[in-house]
Amino acid sequence: MTITENNIKQPIGEYIQNWARKHSLFVLAYGTGCGAIEIPPTMTSRYDAERFGIRGAATPRQADVLLITGYLATKSLKRVIRVYEQMQDPKYVIAFGSCTINGGMYYDSYNTINALDRYIPVDVYINGCMPRPEAVISGFVELQKQIASGNAYNATKYKENLEWYRENQKKIIKNWRMPDYNW
Amino acid sequence: MDNLQIENNILETIKTAFKVEGKVVREKRVEITAHKQLISSILLFAKNQHNYIHLNHITCVDWIEDGEFEINYIIWSPTTKNTLIIKTRISRENAQMENIDNIWDQANTYEREMREMYGIEFPGLIGEHEFILEDWDEMPPMRRDFDTLEYATKTFYQRPGREDAKDVREELTKQSGEEIPEFAKKYSREK
Ligand code: SF4
Repeated sequence: MTITENNIKQPIGEYIQNWARKHSLFVLAYGTGCGAIEIPPTMTSRYDAERFGIRGAATPRQADVLLITGYLATKSLKRVIRVYEQMQDPKYVIAFGSCTINGGMYYDSYNTINALDRYIPVDVYINGCMPRPEAVISGFVELQKQIASGNAYNATKYKENLEWYRENQKKIIKNWRMPDYNW
Repeated sequence: MDNLQIENNILETIKTAFKVEGKVVREKRVEITAHKQLISSILLFAKNQHNYIHLNHITCVDWIEDGEFEINYIIWSPTTKNTLIIKTRISRENAQMENIDNIWDQANTYEREMREMYGIEFPGLIGEHEFILEDWDEMPPMRRDFDTLEYATKTFYQRPGREDAKDVREELTKQSGEEIPEFAKKYSREK
């Protein structure tokens, strides 16, 4: 049995699954860069992201969304990769600020990476330096749309193309002493 | 301007004790330039005799044109609330400076940072060679001959789309008809 909503046809089981997922996004905010300062207003009463089912998670294993809030030093990239790999499926990544997109104003810095999607798959980019809470919430709504339409399969993409990602990651993290996770 | 008495006093004492150059920069700020071998004795003298007990900072400046590094020790006295800056120059080649972390423990941190960022060696300095950077195997990045853009281009992936980025200063001067000063022209993006 299938169900059609917004011109998207899905088996009913998947439809219910996606509907549930999109309404409970537990966010692990990796507060790097300047953008982390926009997270408290997004989460608290002024913008109240919990209206959309968005709320904080304490550990990677409990989280659905990894929120990267700005430039990533090569050193923190290593931590981000570990965090991302510890997260359970389904998992999504929202990258936040121009620094994650093309390096922003740190594009010529010797220790910040420039394009995050070379290292981990990114579902939604929010541009701006830095994006306001409205933009952050609209990014989350965009992610919810992707989830509802069954298109947010980036975690699978990561597993399938792991070699390509690893190659890029190892170019930055020369001394690779990381645990292997078997998802 | 007779109220610079404390400043002049300390300058004179250090000048006569060590035969070094120096000047009073302004109220509460004295600057001294010394040979690198005198640095630890001047610091000890200032700390013990004149109560400059607080080490504010140790900084390094790369004077690539002169082939030298300048190291500045900035210390402060809580009794007179005066700052004393002691400057010294060392050669950029095989840069070496005396370790002063027996005078102030916290100097260790600054020295490790300078060792990593400028490649200055401090004989006898205790601490891991790796301090802030991880797995760094290039030239120390704060040296001015390290080309960060080139390094970033070859290490990270530059996303296309920056080619038409405009120079803010040039755009503004075009609009207002102002002249760009000579010294700023070499930073122009329109080559
Ligand atoms: S995009 Fe702007 S606000 Fe965000 S981390 Fe980069 S410089 Fe900071």
